[in-house]
Amino acid sequence: MRHVLFRLEKDRYALPLDAVREVVVAPERYTRVPHAGPAVKGVMTLRGRVVPVVDLAKLLGLGGEPGTVGKVVLLEFSRRDLGLFVSDVEGIEPIEKVGPQPRPSRLVRGLTRVGALAVTVLDLEGLDSAVAASFGNR
Amino acid sequence: MAAQWDTSRYLSLFVSEATEHLDALGKELVRLEGGVTGEAIDSLFRHAHSVKGMAGSMGFEATTSLGHRLEDLLDRVRSAPNRFDRAIADLVLQAVDALSSHVKAAAAGAPFPDASAVIAQLEGVTRSLRPGATPLPFSAPPAPPLVESSPSTEPAQPPRWLVTLRVATHSAQPGVRGFLAYKRLSSLGNLFRCEPPLDEVKSGKMPGNTFSVELESTEPEAVVQKTVSQVADVELVSLTRVTTPPPTPSAPTEEKAAEADPRVVGQEPSRTIRVRTELLDEFLDLAGELLLATAGVREVGRSLHEELRGQLNESVDRLHGLVRGLHDKVMEARMTPVSVITDRLPRAARDIARRRGREIELIISGSEVLLDRAIVDELNDPVLHLLRNAIDHGVEPPEERRMRGKPPRGTVKLSVRRASDRVLFEVEDDGRGMDVERLKAVAVERGLITADQARDLSEKEALLLSAAPGLSTASSVTDISGRGVGMDAVKRAVEAVGGTLEISSRRGQGTTFRLSLPLTVAMVNLLLVAVGDDVYGLPIAKVAGVVETSRAALSRSQDVPVLQFGASVVPARELAAVLEVPGRPHDVTVPSPFVVVDTDEGRVALAVDALLGQEEVVLKALARPLDQVRGLAGVTVLGSGRPVFILDVTRLEAPVRAAAVGDA
Repeated sequence: MRHVLFRLEKDRYALPLDAVREVVVAPERYTRVPHAGPAVKGVMTLRGRVVPVVDLAKLLGLGGEPGTVGKVVLLEFSRRDLGLFVSDVEGIEPIEKVGPQPRPSRLVRGLTRVGALAVTVLDLEGLDSAVAASFGNR
Repeated sequence: MAAQWDTSRYLSLFVSEATEHLDALGKELVRLEGGVTGEAIDSLFRHAHSVKGMAGSMGFEATTSLGHRLEDLLDRVRSAPNRFDRAIADLVLQAVDALSSHVKAAAAGAPFPDASAVIAQLEGVTRSLRPGATPLPFSAPPAPPLVESSPSTEPAQPPRWLVTLRVATHSAQPGVRGFLAYKRLSSLGNLFRCEPPLDEVKSGKMPGNTFSVELESTEPEAVVQKTVSQVADVELVSLTRVTTPPPTPSAPTEEKAAEADPRVVGQEPSRTIRVRTELLDEFLDLAGELLLATAGVREVGRSLHEELRGQLNESVDRLHGLVRGLHDKVMEARMTPVSVITDRLPRAARDIARRRGREIELIISGSEVLLDRAIVDELNDPVLHLLRNAIDHGVEPPEERRMRGKPPRGTVKLSVRRASDRVLFEVEDDGRGMDVERLKAVAVERGLITADQARDLSEKEALLLSAAPGLSTASSVTDISGRGVGMDAVKRAVEAVGGTLEISSRRGQGTTFRLSLPLTVAMVNLLLVAVGDDVYGLPIAKVAGVVETSRAALSRSQDVPVLQFGASVVPARELAAVLEVPGRPHDVTVPSPFVVVDTDEGRVALAVDALLGQEEVVLKALARPLDQVRGLAGVTVLGSGRPVFILDVTRLEAPVRAAAVGDA
């Protein structure tokens, strides 16, 4: 299955291409969302649509400076729009075999290799529920 | 090949029309149980015939054959209406269900379910109703119908009076007085041809302080005179008998009357066409986008030279007016009578009552009320669920009712009415009512709330526990209400369209579920406020007023800062703290705006950093995950392209959690 490959700082991650609608340059500012968790950057407008954007590094619990320069990977699955803020997008690669998780996490499906690079493949459903929690679900 | 293509093209039309006929069949059938009339049986026959015909033209043989057998049976019943009984009604319902399952299969492109058993039964019963049997003269007296039936033909026209009234010149509010008199008269009968029109009377525009109206009433002259005399400052000038129709020259206003009444005969019935509902959705989206785009043009104009800007704004105003008009028309086209939902209920009520061994009278009123299609669509399941609840958990079995001294037949009332910009949907039963203490106990047991919280709950709040996920007071899990969507789904669905759910209940006397729904989903008038770097929209309808004062000038009551507002005091809170967003640093001695809003828990004053003005916007519903955020009603995009959240001030979080002014 083809995956979109992207970077958070130096580490590489991948998501199924089917779930990605497009990639855009991250806006300079966002509209803040009330009650939202720290991983939520806010909402942006894209051609009249209001799209929530989440800082993927923070969602994964990674440290590091909250960057402002980067890309937004727009996902479209289960009829909802969601933007993931990432450092950069590197391309599209076929990924078939995914190895086990390095440590248990709902957000990660497992590890794989693309050429010489180690890539973490993310789990869409786990991502979705973590995002919902960031927006104050219950 | 061409024929194949043609059929698929008409499939959706077949599905929608056949479904309508089958719904109507179900409805008529239930009505028949309240009293057999030849006319109702005719109507059953016609609907069955239509379904058969449509299925035939689509080439659905199994459906056609089923429809044909049903038609045969109904034809027999038509000539022997006295033989129509519950068993036949059940069989007809079975056939209707089988036909519906065919229609659904056709819609999904699935194979048709087998209907041979129903067909065999239909044939058997049809044979037993041979025309050889002596048909008794049809004389069954029509019993009170289960549902409010269509208006009966009125025996004779009540007399019509031309009432001319004068409002005293010294009256402070002649419009109000005139309107009061009008309202009083309307209690006596039907009013026609108000001259000048009622709107002008209301605003006091009456030549010579006089207005006239025609009253159709069976009340005697003296009662009319007395009714008018009860309104202060209003005097009856004349009361003349009018003959209608046609208007005779004896009536002083005959010239106007002849042309004014829209109800004159010979008028063409309004013509309608069918439109795909998705198309209406697209229209609304486009009209909404047009409004936003217009605002965008105005925004660009701000950077123009003043003279040019004036010209541009004039054009934009005109454009905005036109687009607004278009938007209104699209909204109007989307308005759907709630009968779309309620028409199916008698049949459903009958089925549920039958299965649960209950006797039910379902009284439906107000099904002509109009609501936005999107809301009507979302209401179908919740309303059906409330009905199930009422019959299954509300109304007791007949024996139990007798023991309690109630009539064995339970009453479920479903009423729909307009109340200003809301539509109220009420489902009321006269059953056993809800057990508030038991609800609380179960909620505590399941760990939803603590015992302390349970003690502090008001009755209204406690009743709403039944809408918390995973709670049901039914002692047994029944096959009807115990599974599938629960009250939590009802609450969620209602809130998703901007409505609210309220429950009131009295032990042993019944329960009322009240849904308060917005008329439409789209336009909202906002007060824009700044909090920190952000802008939020507060619905003007919920804003009671704005007060400029410094935080230091607030007084305190029970350690909570309060703002003097009119004759009352309201608790004051920082909007930034309520929303958990950063606000601007403030100097407590410098005045800042407090917006007083109406929440579900009373009035609250919200301190904001600045008022940015008023704007009418298109409200966009929030999609996942934004719909999970507390206190948001929707979002809109301003002309500048900036998204702005619209706050649901009625449900600002409880005062305990939000920091009071000064504590932030």
